[in-house]
Amino acid sequence: MSDLLPYLIGGLANGALYGLLALGFVLVYRATSVVNFAIGEFLLVGAYLTYTFALFLPLGLAILAALPFAFLFGVLVERGFVRPLLGRNVVAVIMATIGLAAALDGAVQLLWGPDLKYLSGSLPDLGFHAGEVFVSSRAVWNLLLALPLGLGLLWLLRRSKYGVLVRAISEREVAALALGIPTARVLAGVWGVSALLATLAGALLAVASGVGHNLVFFGMKVFPVAILGGLDSVGGALLAGFLLGVLEALSQRYLEPLLPGFTEALPFLVVLLVLLVRPYGLLGERQIERV
Amino acid sequence: MLSVENLKVVYRGVILALDGVSLEVGAKEAVALLGPNGAGKSSLVRAVAGLLPKFEGRVLDGHIRFLGQDTTHLDPVRLSRMGLTAVLEGRPLFRYLTPVENLVAAGHRLSPKELKEGMEEVFARFPRLYERRHEQAGYLSGGEQQMLLLGMALLTRPKLLVVDEPSLGLAPKLVEEVMAILDALRREKGLSLLLVEQNARAALNIVDRVYVLERGRVVFEGDARAAKEDQDVMEFYLGKEEVGFRQARRYRRRKRWV
Repeated sequence: MSDLLPYLIGGLANGALYGLLALGFVLVYRATSVVNFAIGEFLLVGAYLTYTFALFLPLGLAILAALPFAFLFGVLVERGFVRPLLGRNVVAVIMATIGLAAALDGAVQLLWGPDLKYLSGSLPDLGFHAGEVFVSSRAVWNLLLALPLGLGLLWLLRRSKYGVLVRAISEREVAALALGIPTARVLAGVWGVSALLATLAGALLAVASGVGHNLVFFGMKVFPVAILGGLDSVGGALLAGFLLGVLEALSQRYLEPLLPGFTEALPFLVVLLVLLVRPYGLLGERQIERV
Repeated sequence: MLSVENLKVVYRGVILALDGVSLEVGAKEAVALLGPNGAGKSSLVRAVAGLLPKFEGRVLDGHIRFLGQDTTHLDPVRLSRMGLTAVLEGRPLFRYLTPVENLVAAGHRLSPKELKEGMEEVFARFPRLYERRHEQAGYLSGGEQQMLLLGMALLTRPKLLVVDEPSLGLAPKLVEEVMAILDALRREKGLSLLLVEQNARAALNIVDRVYVLERGRVVFEGDARAAKEDQDVMEFYLGKEEVGFRQARRYRRRKRWV
């Protein structure tokens, strides 16, 4: 058991980041019905923003400083790429986000170069020993930031006026417009928040493993996580994030020695299996059908 | 309050829905816009509310003025701020939200205190809504949904209320009830009302003036009493059962000359 616990803690730490990223992804999908294939690049841009600020600020402050810029970045993406295409063919919007992903990839390499970079400085060490088990500083930071933020966002979406407006717009944009709800501004805000969450996930990931193009692959995991949680369920995204993180850790511990490379495929396998039983994902809801 | 001049509306560049419609709604006046399916009633509502672009439509010609300002191409958010609220057809409420949340969305511009008072007023007016305030609005009955919509419209603090087919899908008794509520609201709040309806009998009881729209043109305008006495309007819109098949045919023949 004691040799399993470190894996579990590592899994939860990773899962927290999956959860954060998937939260932003699902938020955008729910509000605008856009599948953002550039979410991995959002993470990448966020990580590079943090890296840039960390060149002249302590790391904690650098992350904080990157967040408003990330929000702005999300808003700009919505204005520039998404809004002109809203209401068009779904495929057109999907192609646009794929194109955006490629453009961002290129832009990031142009601006910061192709080589792996490491953040200067580090976050205060919060690692501790709980009995025989060592809980790493990385795990503490990930959970400390992801959990309150995720749960807070859930609360906002359910209870606050802004949350009500987001849910109203996501259901019937025209009806919301007719009530004078500034849908464009609210939706831009949603993209901003999504980029902000991706940036935080990117920054925390960069602290552990440096900043490079490989972060995009971490971003790709958001698809199984979001589908597993239910594409329209924000709470499900957070939960599925943790679940997949832990499953990966277990696989790493028990299956990897037998089936090398299996862990990489695991999230997608889990999604396949779960969708067979629950086509709407773990917490996704069946839509009220229009009759 | 609202004046529409020679309005032409086209969808996707080819489908002409309104072909030179003019109408007026005065301050505190209730006006009905009647007409059969496809006459262009909803297009007029969308145009007035600034929602045409959302339906791939646009104003080809003509002007819409609200409170003396040219609002032909104004966006719905600005129009709503000016005091124009449109309740679109098909019960446009948020079915996954509760009545309370629907009201919060509608009253998004109000201060928390105003919102609370407004909600209390709505619930006092519609006690049935209060009982079901925490259920999903999609599961309310048709009549309750219509009441919720009117409550939501009130929380936008309108000066002019445009309501598109509130009677659609309601039992005759409920239609009367909804019309009575609309009438009461209008008089109490001193609103102007543009009521768009197919159900002429119900609508004519609560309005001052009426326009009849057909194939994108106004074919009749006059005060409500005159409409009730007008043979054509009566025959065609107020009860086919009293006309009978043969007379209806005769009417159609006559109508070609209208």
